[in-house]
Amino acid sequence: MADAADEVARAGSALTRSDLLRKGTTAAFAVSMFGGLTDRALGVYGPLKFAKKELSGELRIMTWAHFVPDYDKWLDGTYAKQWGEANDVEVKIDHINNALLYSTGAAEVAAQSGHDLFWFISPPATFQKQAIPVTDLVQEVSKKVGRMTRVARKSTYNPATKQFYGFPESYAPDPVQYRRSQLQQAGVSLRTWDDLRQGAAKLKAIGHPVGLGMSNEIDSNMLLTSLLYCYGGYIQNEDNRIVIGQGANRKGAIQALQVMKEIYSSGMSDEVFAWTAASNNQAFLAGRLSVALNAISIVRSAEDSGNQALSDDTWLASIPRGPVQRLGNEHVMGVYLIWKFAKNKEAAQKYVVDQMLAYEDHFVRSKFYNFPPWTNSIKGGFKTIREVATKDPHKPKGKYSILTTIAEKYTTNPGHPGNTTPVMDEIYNTFLIPQMFAEVAQGKSSPADAVGRFASKAQSIYRKWHNQKLV
Amino acid sequence: MTRRQTIVTYLVVVPFAIFLAFPFFFALITMFKTNLDLANVEHVPYTYNDLAGNLHWDFWNYATFEHVRFLFEETNYPTWLLNTVIVGGAVVVITLLLAMPAGYALARLAGGWGQGAGVGIFLVYLVPPTLLFLPLSRLVSQLGLKDSLWALILVYPSFTVPFATWLLMGFFKTIPQELEEAALMDGASRLKALRLIVLPVSLPGILTVVIFAFSLCVNEFIYAFTFISSSEQRTISAGIPNDLIRGDVFFWQSLMAATLIPAIPLALLYNAFLDRFIKGFTGGAFR
Amino acid sequence: MEAQAARWTPTRRRWRHALESRRVLAPLLIAPAVVFMVLVVGVPLVWAIYLSFTDAVGGSLSGHWVGFDNFTNAWHDDNFRRALRNTLIFTLASQAIVVVGAAILSNFLVRDFRGKWIIRFLVVLPWAAPVVLSTIIWLWLLDSLYSVVNWTLAELHLDHALVWLLGAVHLEEGAQVPLQWLGRPNLALIAITVVHAWRILPFAVVIFIAGRSSIPTEVEDASRIDGATGFKKLWYVDLPLQLPIALVAVLFGIVFTAVDFAVVYILTHGGPFNSTQVLPTWAYAVGIDSGSLGEGAAISLFLFPLLVLVTVGMLFFARRAQVS
Repeated sequence: MADAADEVARAGSALTRSDLLRKGTTAAFAVSMFGGLTDRALGVYGPLKFAKKELSGELRIMTWAHFVPDYDKWLDGTYAKQWGEANDVEVKIDHINNALLYSTGAAEVAAQSGHDLFWFISPPATFQKQAIPVTDLVQEVSKKVGRMTRVARKSTYNPATKQFYGFPESYAPDPVQYRRSQLQQAGVSLRTWDDLRQGAAKLKAIGHPVGLGMSNEIDSNMLLTSLLYCYGGYIQNEDNRIVIGQGANRKGAIQALQVMKEIYSSGMSDEVFAWTAASNNQAFLAGRLSVALNAISIVRSAEDSGNQALSDDTWLASIPRGPVQRLGNEHVMGVYLIWKFAKNKEAAQKYVVDQMLAYEDHFVRSKFYNFPPWTNSIKGGFKTIREVATKDPHKPKGKYSILTTIAEKYTTNPGHPGNTTPVMDEIYNTFLIPQMFAEVAQGKSSPADAVGRFASKAQSIYRKWHNQKLV
Repeated sequence: MTRRQTIVTYLVVVPFAIFLAFPFFFALITMFKTNLDLANVEHVPYTYNDLAGNLHWDFWNYATFEHVRFLFEETNYPTWLLNTVIVGGAVVVITLLLAMPAGYALARLAGGWGQGAGVGIFLVYLVPPTLLFLPLSRLVSQLGLKDSLWALILVYPSFTVPFATWLLMGFFKTIPQELEEAALMDGASRLKALRLIVLPVSLPGILTVVIFAFSLCVNEFIYAFTFISSSEQRTISAGIPNDLIRGDVFFWQSLMAATLIPAIPLALLYNAFLDRFIKGFTGGAFR
Repeated sequence: MEAQAARWTPTRRRWRHALESRRVLAPLLIAPAVVFMVLVVGVPLVWAIYLSFTDAVGGSLSGHWVGFDNFTNAWHDDNFRRALRNTLIFTLASQAIVVVGAAILSNFLVRDFRGKWIIRFLVVLPWAAPVVLSTIIWLWLLDSLYSVVNWTLAELHLDHALVWLLGAVHLEEGAQVPLQWLGRPNLALIAITVVHAWRILPFAVVIFIAGRSSIPTEVEDASRIDGATGFKKLWYVDLPLQLPIALVAVLFGIVFTAVDFAVVYILTHGGPFNSTQVLPTWAYAVGIDSGSLGEGAAISLFLFPLLVLVTVGMLFFARRAQVS
C-alpha cells in the first residue's frame, strides 16, 4: 500500500476507503494484466470485491462494429468489464456501422453531449477542435513502451497546433490477397506493378480477373493512394502542401493512372466501378477474383466460409513495387477522440492509456486486424508479433508472417509524406481519387487532364482548411 | 366488363404488379438460402441448389431457417420492431392532436389565408433532414432526450403534421357546412359541433392521416440513426442497416427477411383500408 | 332554455362568445401546430441557413461569417454542378414515369376483376417497406456479381441484345456482359431513376384512384353517350378532371425524390466516380463526412428556392384546375 499511503499523506485530504480500494485494485489489475510492471506490484488484494458493488463512474465509448464480431464480443464482455471493475467505472460501449461514425460524431458535437470516447476509422482531423489534446497521454505511453510508429504519429499529430489531437488505437495494414493456384496457372508474379500490369490479361483469360476497385468506397481510396505512392505521385509534401500537380509528383501520378488504365482494360471488368466495400470480398470469396487489395477481412472470411480449398489457396503478399518504392496505406487507422464535453475525461484518458500498455490480447482477438500504434505495446515488438502471426494455424503455415513485414516496412499514413490532414480527409470522403482513376480508365479523360483537375480541386480544398488554421 | 376489357385489364395490371412486387418476391426466396448456395454464381437464384449446384423438386430441403433465426435471436430485431410501432403510434396520436384542430380551422375559419397556409405547409418538406439533424441534435440533447425513443417522438411530427394538416384541411372542406350549421342553430357551441358532428364523419380522413403518418415514421432513418446510439433503442430503419452490415460483410439473407417481415403486414393493412383511405382523400364522394 | 340560460354566468358567457368568434377560435386551433413547427423545424432551418454563410467545421454550430463564399465555391465545383444536374434529372425523369404509370394503372385498378385484392396488395408493397430496406434489396438485385436481373437476362438470352441496344442508342458504348447497373454512369442513372419511380408509384396510384373516385358519375355517363371511350376518354375527360389531384401527387413525388438521400447513397454512394451524386448526398459527403459543415449547408439549401417556386406554381395551378 506504499504508493497509496504516500498519496494520502501528500494530498493531505481525507481519501475515502473506496478511493484507497480503487487505487489498490487498480494496481492489482495492473499486475494481473500487465505482468511485468513491478513498480506497482502490491501485495494486498484478494478477489475483486467489486462483483456486486455499484460502480461509481460511467465511461461511454462509441466505436465501430468490428468486422470480426468475436472481437467486439470479447471487448464488451470481457476486456471492458474487467477494466471497469478494476477502475470503479461502468464501461458502456456502443458499436455502429463505420460509415456512420462521422455523422454520429457530428451530431454529438452539435448537441455538445454524447459519449466520452469516440473512435474513428480514420484520423478525424476535422473534429480536432472539438476534442481535448492528448499529447500528455501520448508521452506517458511513449515513456513506458517506447516510440509510436511513424504511421500513428503522422496520423494524429498536427504540426500547426503542435499537439496530438487524437489518441491512436490501432491500424490495419493492407496486404494483397491472391489465389496462388490461379497466379501459378497464369504464370503471373506480383513482385512489381509492371508484373501485374503484364499479367492481368493472362488472369482475365483464365476467367479470374484482377480486383482493384475504382469505386466510391474505402477500399478503392486506400489502394489507389498506395499505387500513387509506389509511383512517387505524392498528393502532399512533408509540409502538407499540395504538390501532385507539379514536377516528379505529376509525372508519377500520370504513370500510375496509365498503369491502372492498362490493368483495367486488359485484366479487370466493369464491376470494379460499382463496388461497395463488401464487393471485392464477395467476388474473391465467390472464387472469381484472383487478386485483391484489402485488409485481411477477405482471407479471414475465406477461413470462416467452410470452403477449405479456397482458404488454403488464399495467400498474402505485400503491395507490388513501383519504380519509386514499395509502399502502401494503412487500411484502417483507429483513433480515439476525447470530446471537450466528455463527462468522464479521467476515465477516458486512463482507458486509452491502459489499453495501449498491453495490446497483445487485442491483436490476437481481432485476428491480427488490429496492429498496435506503439509496437512495444506487445512485449517484444515486431519480433513477438511475427512469432504470433506465424503461429496462426491456417494453411499455408506462416502465411501471416508477411503481414508483419507489411506493417513494419511498407505501411504509411494517408497524406504521406505529410500528415493526415483535414484536406486528405475531404479528398477521401468526396472520393476524388477513385474519380480521377475511373475517369482515365473509362477513357473519359487523359491522365494529364485528370491530374490537373484533381490538383486544382485539392488546392482549393487546401486553401479552405488553411484559412481555418487547421493545416 | 366485356371479355376484351378483362383481358386488357390483366395485360396491364399484371406486369405492373410484377414490377412492383418482384424485389419482395425475390427477397422471400433469398432469405432462406444457405450461404454456400447464395455465394455461388453458378447457382440458380430463384430456388435452392445443393452443394453441387443441382436442383431438386423438394427444394425446401435445401433451404435454411438459420438466417431468420439469427435475425430474431442474435440481433435486437424484435426490439426494433416494437420500437418502430411505439414511435409510429405515438407520433400518429400527436399528429392527430395537432393537425385536426389546425386543419379544421384552416378549412372553416381561416378564410382567405387558408390557401397561403396550404402552400406554407409544403415548404417544410423542402429542407433536407441531412442538414436539419445537426441543430435538432442540439435540441434533443438539451431536452435530455438523447438516445431515447422520445427524441424521435418529439421530432417526427415535424414532417407528419404539415401533410396531415393539409390532408385534413382538404377533407374538412368537403364536409357540407349544413351539418354544422344545423348543430349551431340548435344551440351547440362550435367546439361541441366539432366533436359530435364533424368528427364521426371525418373518420376516413383520420384513417388516411394515420396511414400516411405511420408510413412516414417507418421510413425515416436519418434522425433515427443520429439521435439514438444504443442498439436496444433503435427502430428498424436504423437498427437493421447498422447491425446487419458489419464493416464489409452484408448479411444478405437476414436483411431480406428483416425487410419482408414488416412490409407484408403493413401492405395488408394499407390494402385492407384502401377504400376507406380513398374516401378520406376525396372527402366522401366515391363511386 | 330558461334553465340553460340561468347556468351561464356573465363571465362564462363572455368566454363562450370569444370562443365562438372566428378570430379567436381559428388562431387558437392552429396555434399548437404552428408553435410546434416553428420550434422543431423553423429554428433549425434558420440555424441551417445561418450555417451556410459561415465556415463552420466538424459538427460545430457556429463559425466565422464568409458571406456567399460557400455558394460560389460550390458553383465552381464541377462535382457540385453534376449533383445539381442529377437531382433534376432523377426527379423529372422518375416522376414522368410515375405520372404516366399511375395514370394508366389507376385507370384499370378501379375496374372489378378477379384477383383485384391480390394485385392491389402487390402494388402497395413498395410503399409499405421502409425505403432504406427496400433499397438494400435493390442493391442486391443489381449487384456487380450476383445481380438476378443480369442472370435472368442471360437465361433469356437477352443480355447481348440489350448491350447492343444500349450501344445503338449511344447510351452506353462498349458495355460488357454482365451489365454493371451501378458501375457505368448512364446505367447507374437509369437504375436510380427506376428505383425512385418504383418507390413512388404505389403512392401516386392511390392518389390517382382517389382522384378518379371524385369524378361524378354524370360525367361518366355523358362521355359514354357521347361515344368517347378508351384512350380518347382518358385523354379528354379523365385526365383533365384528375388534374388537381394528379398535380398534388406529382408535387409530392417531386419533393420526396428531390430531397431523397437513401436511394443514391445506398446504391452507388454517388459513384461511379461521383457521376450519380445528388445534392443531398454531395452535401453529406462535403458537410458531414469531410467536416466542411458550412459548405454542406450551402449545398443542401441550393435547391430550396427552386423547390419553393415549383411548389407554389403547382399548387396555384392545382387550385385553378379545381375551380374550373
